[in-house]
Amino acid sequence: MQHSAFTQRQQYDREDTDLLKRIQRSDQRALTSLYDRYAAVLYPLSLRMTGSKEEAEDLVIEVFAQAWEKAGSYAPHHGSVYAWITALCRAKGTEKVRSANQRRRGNEESATPTRKSSDSEEQSAGTEPAIVLKGVTEDVRSSIKSLSKLELRLLELSYYEGQSQSDLARMLRIPLGTIKAKMRRGIQKLRQVSTQEAK
Amino acid sequence: MTGKTEERHAQLELCIPFVFGRLNPGNRKQFEAHLATGCEQCRAELSGLYEATALLPLMLRQEAPPSGVRQRLLSRISSKRPEPQRSEPRGQRPSQPQQREKVVTPSLRPERPWYLYASIVMGALLIVALVIFVNQLVGTASSQEKKIAELQSELQLKQDVFAVLQAEGVETVLLTSVTPGSAERGKIFWDPAKHNAVIQTSNLPAESDGKQYQLWVLKEKKYISAGVFDVTAEKGNALKAIPLPAADKQAIEGFAVTLEPKGGSMEPTGPIQLHGATR
Repeated sequence: MQHSAFTQRQQYDREDTDLLKRIQRSDQRALTSLYDRYAAVLYPLSLRMTGSKEEAEDLVIEVFAQAWEKAGSYAPHHGSVYAWITALCRAKGTEKVRSANQRRRGNEESATPTRKSSDSEEQSAGTEPAIVLKGVTEDVRSSIKSLSKLELRLLELSYYEGQSQSDLARMLRIPLGTIKAKMRRGIQKLRQVSTQEAK
Repeated sequence: MTGKTEERHAQLELCIPFVFGRLNPGNRKQFEAHLATGCEQCRAELSGLYEATALLPLMLRQEAPPSGVRQRLLSRISSKRPEPQRSEPRGQRPSQPQQREKVVTPSLRPERPWYLYASIVMGALLIVALVIFVNQLVGTASSQEKKIAELQSELQLKQDVFAVLQAEGVETVLLTSVTPGSAERGKIFWDPAKHNAVIQTSNLPAESDGKQYQLWVLKEKKYISAGVFDVTAEKGNALKAIPLPAADKQAIEGFAVTLEPKGGSMEPTGPIQLHGATR
């Protein structure tokens, strides 16, 4: 059963590479196929990084627009097309959060804005569960159980929020050496999961 | 030959910070130049790391963006053509050398006392020194007691944070500001089985005199207090382990943070600073 999900993943990788080649030839349908396949993963990632639905939507658009414009800059050392597009999203998201923080520091002296409660439970109109990567995702989730809770949490904080190891040490009051060791070990385990996937 | 191999190994160490975007501009440029030489080892390492980190978003609950997003993307790209294949150049930020000020300290020349009074002066100095020494000992003891108390509370916090972070089935709830674009953030690491949580915030405005932040649990549309916490003045950060009111995991709908009079309120009176739903 696990094997079939990994085979499915390899099939996706091959198809994604073809989609990217078609994008380089200005094929818009190829871009929409890539979007339909991965938007449901990149949107929650964007939401996790920016914390705002509007910004997450903008980020998803920027990422796919960049994939359209820069498809030619994809190289095998970026990993699979999925890994490349995820890294684009993460880099752009980090940039967005950093500049928002800088803007906020610049405006700090201005008056406190009036706050009103917003409906955090409101579901976006077009939301629907994505099933494209379901098998793969379930498989990854069970494989990732080899990471300890702390290892996973540190990687998530670093990945989603761009926290440096020393930021994490300060924030969680955990010695820097422990953070480094746990993260390194977490990455090693993640790599084992991803190479297992590739087999 | 050996030098080249060693250099490649040294560059391998930069792969993880490169993937996590933590290299400074100088090292980043250097690493990119190294990659451009076609180092197979580093390229393979990078590919593996990108592949590994790309697994993390698969742990999030998949959710398609609203339908309008696809249309906005298509209208954005309709006027643009993909660029021809090429490698991306990156900008370099010039480094700013720091100037050091030379600090000149005036030298003091002690006056020579008259020899007849030398012994009296020495005696007086000895007494003064003895008094200072005794005072310092008392001061050191009390400051060390204070330090021990601080370390004990730090250790307790660390143990509490560790206990929640390592708990089985711990949930993470993101807290965001109700103001769009605000950098105020927070997270709740929540152990539903033991009703314990850790709250971590960043960029919250420092509390004014007589005020304190308060965490609320949203249960059956009602806010229940989960205690108060303080943030650091410079960065608005906080880290605190907080016991939550006993409730079923399903019954807790979300969390909120408000600014309340010092000591907290029975129900929220201030505006909501941060909130997050458990879903």
